[in-house]
Amino acid sequence: MRLEIDWTRCDGSGLCAELLAERITRDEWGYPLIADSRVAEDDRSARRAVAACPALALRLAHA
Amino acid sequence: MTATLDRPSSAAAGTPVWTIGAPRLLAGLDRFPVIDYPTHLAVHGPMPGSDLERVLTQLDGVGLAGRGGAGFPLAAKLRAMPAHGRRRVVVNGTESEPASRKDRVLLTRAPHLVLDGALAVATALGAAGTTVAVHDEAVATALRAAVAQRPDRVDVVVVPGGFVSGEARAVIRSLDGGPALPPGRRTPPTEHGDLLANAETFAQVAVLLRLGWRRFAETGTHHEPGTTLLTVGGAVGRPGVVELPLGTPLGIVLAAAQAAVAQAVVIGGYHGAWHPPIPRITLDRAGVASAGGSFGAGVLLVVDEQTCALGELAVATRWLADQSAAQCGPCRFGLPALADDVHQLYRGAPNAVEIAFRHVRAVSGRGACAHPDGAARFVTSALHMLQDEIEQHAHAGTCGRPVLNRLGVTA
Repeated sequence: MRLEIDWTRCDGSGLCAELLAERITRDEWGYPLIADSRVAEDDRSARRAVAACPALALRLAHA
Repeated sequence: MTATLDRPSSAAAGTPVWTIGAPRLLAGLDRFPVIDYPTHLAVHGPMPGSDLERVLTQLDGVGLAGRGGAGFPLAAKLRAMPAHGRRRVVVNGTESEPASRKDRVLLTRAPHLVLDGALAVATALGAAGTTVAVHDEAVATALRAAVAQRPDRVDVVVVPGGFVSGEARAVIRSLDGGPALPPGRRTPPTEHGDLLANAETFAQVAVLLRLGWRRFAETGTHHEPGTTLLTVGGAVGRPGVVELPLGTPLGIVLAAAQAAVAQAVVIGGYHGAWHPPIPRITLDRAGVASAGGSFGAGVLLVVDEQTCALGELAVATRWLADQSAAQCGPCRFGLPALADDVHQLYRGAPNAVEIAFRHVRAVSGRGACAHPDGAARFVTSALHMLQDEIEQHAHAGTCGRPVLNRLGVTA
């Protein structure tokens, strides 16, 4: 699976970068930069970050 | 500073047309200002029948690709349409690329080729409706007059907005009563039963179905048969919309357009790239791609030695930033930052290049539509080309040349 951002929804709250600090950093305006978008099926921290996104912008997509 | 588009509101009325080689789409326009339906039939002959199998055979025969910029094979779109449910054919005639005039020329002066192609695809698909979406009221008026000359039902709809509103999914959303903005999810229009293609693409379909794929392929390149429309502008003696065989070398087109001595050419328009004026670059998708650019929707702009190229870039980058729909953060903040960087380079500020490249990376691949990527490609290619000018501005504060607005937008 892959982490995806709906850029029309993301408002740069930065919660994903806190929850997934090992793979997401933030640009100078606070928007997420994903170093590696691939996610294993059993990656619970990625699922937690997706569920926590206040803008519902972070998603897990198949393929 | 804001940049505005220097585009005549009277659509294509004042746009000259000319050809290299035999005209297909522009046939008859040397004799008639507008080709009405009886004239159209006299020039092109009757339209053959169009069942799905025949249409797909012809499209596959020449691998006909969309002419709106993305170059997606039309046959693949037809095959991706759902077998059941509502199906609609949409002609994207918005032509929101600022330097492009070719679709306006077709829709106002040779509209029946576009309508023939769209109606043939609609028949092949068993589509319930055919819609042409345009940005300009003048184009809509001309098109409605053309539709009234035919026995067919075609809806002509004016959709609002700027550059990004001409994006395929933004057009569909607007037609369905939503905002004229690209949606956040990248689902293709075919998923919901919409077969959308650019106006020239449908005109090419009309030519292809009449000629058959073998004769269609008698001109152009092996991989990209046929002709293409190209809007030529900037420092040229003969600006306008040109029909030419795909694969024509840049040098031939520059000579035919009576181009001034060029320091650069912009191919593909505002989502295209800056190139040195290398005569052997061929004007087809593969040729421009191998030169590191994009053929885009078919635009060629000449930046001559008389103008300040860095100033031209600054105005164009500001215009691109102004065109952001401000939906996606990286584009909303990144493109204005990039425009500021380029303006700083123009003013001679040192070290602005590194910051500009950082902002290019900050927008690349981070948006709902192709705008940030297209803008990034445009600016990156120019920054690579204009290193001497950047140094000159940093050293002396100016290159001593005025900004002559060769790219069609003004500060």
